[in-house]
Amino acid sequence: MTGRVIVITSGKGGVGKTTTSANIGTALAKSGYKVVLIDTDLGLRNLDLLLGLENRIVYTIVDVIEERCKLRQALVKDKKNPNLQLLAAAQTRDKTAVNAEQLKEICDTLKEENDFVLVDCPAGIEQGFQNAVAGASEAIVVTTPEMSAIRDADRIIGLLATKEEITSVKLLLNRVRPNLIKSNEMMSVDDVVGILEIPLVGIIPEDAGIITSTNKGEPIVNDENALAGKAYRNVAERILGEEVPFLDLDEPKGFMAKIKNAIAKLKVKV
Amino acid sequence: MSLFSDLYNTISKFFHSQEEPENASKSVATNRLKLVLMQDRTNLTPRILEQMRSELIELLSRYVELDKELLDLNFEQEGDQVALMLSIPVIRAKDEEEIDAAIKEHEEMLAAALNKKAAEEESNAEEEISDEAEDSAEEIKEEDKEADSEEADRTEEEKAEAEKADAIAKELNEVPKIIKKKEKKEVSAPEDISSNGNNPFKSDSSDVESVI
Repeated sequence: MTGRVIVITSGKGGVGKTTTSANIGTALAKSGYKVVLIDTDLGLRNLDLLLGLENRIVYTIVDVIEERCKLRQALVKDKKNPNLQLLAAAQTRDKTAVNAEQLKEICDTLKEENDFVLVDCPAGIEQGFQNAVAGASEAIVVTTPEMSAIRDADRIIGLLATKEEITSVKLLLNRVRPNLIKSNEMMSVDDVVGILEIPLVGIIPEDAGIITSTNKGEPIVNDENALAGKAYRNVAERILGEEVPFLDLDEPKGFMAKIKNAIAKLKVKV
Repeated sequence: MSLFSDLYNTISKFFHSQEEPENASKSVATNRLKLVLMQDRTNLTPRILEQMRSELIELLSRYVELDKELLDLNFEQEGDQVALMLSIPVIRAKDEEEIDAAIKEHEEMLAAALNKKAAEEESNAEEEISDEAEDSAEEIKEEDKEADSEEADRTEEEKAEAEKADAIAKELNEVPKIIKKKEKKEVSAPEDISSNGNNPFKSDSSDVESVI
């Protein structure tokens, strides 16, 4: 078996790389695929928190590289789904403790026994980024509809284009707020895609549920009712090659919007 | 019937009060972002872009009368190719005599610039440049440091003349450096230029290799 190695990256920090990694990984594992998540954010690890696995980590990626344990020993199984495993970052070391070649070797080993290896990339374009992309053949660039995040994403897309091993670069637009787009206060999905010019793999609406899901250490894809959870499940399906339409985020929710809609319908009748 | 639609319009105006304002923060963001990305992707700084813009106006003005205020210069990315899109409203096509005169004037200016450069090199060889005129005309200083020492004791008229000549001398020196990487250049002007078919940009500057 040769699995796919996908790096999840963004350039800018705080746009949702780790949340995206945790959710896509969980969704793929739920669909029955064997998934390993690698946290490469050395010194600033968080993927363990989002998965609720922070108390189970014994060995980290640095322990594997410095041969204090076998790779198999460092993989932490998810509480609910044994298909999902985490290789945690070391919290007490910095980016220089690992180099690109070592990370590539780990990815190559892991993809032999797994369907997906998802690499959660640190922010920035330095060593940490270079390490994270080293073993990957696909990339998902996460951005939000804000200028600074888009500019950094553009930079990352440019850098990914120079990596011969990476054959697919897709865009995940996170924290979209339809009501702000409607009032022309936020760039629309089309605006962002038009500027970055790479294919879209997902549109994730801003969802307060993300905060509570992080609090609990349980990815939002496990919540059947959450809109962001649904959007992430769709992303996983698209990664698996299915054609899933993007969620219609324009659906009016509030009371006023309902009245407005009713009037519009009335108008049609008149 | 009309009562209903009046009512509808009033209500819908109330709900749509903030519909598509031209200066909505979204369009501000999009435009700012496009500009900054253009600079990021091409390594063209605002100063160089302005220089390019003014040189293009100067060049095209020899052949047609342009609306300089409405000139629109944009980079567009198609796949891994960057295209330079230039759109300039044409006010009036010039006749052949005017064009010939403009070309002649330009050639004379080029010749003058070359002469000036040669003379400068000679004088520079004789004495080392001191920074006596540091505070005069910062822009020029940046563009052509060698010309600084003479700058201070020129009259206004001479200065303007020299500036123009400097720009041309600079054109001769720097233009190839500006065009970095592979950039397909295109001119899409709404009227005369595009219909002219033989525009000067398409032929000579596509796929210019980096000179730096």
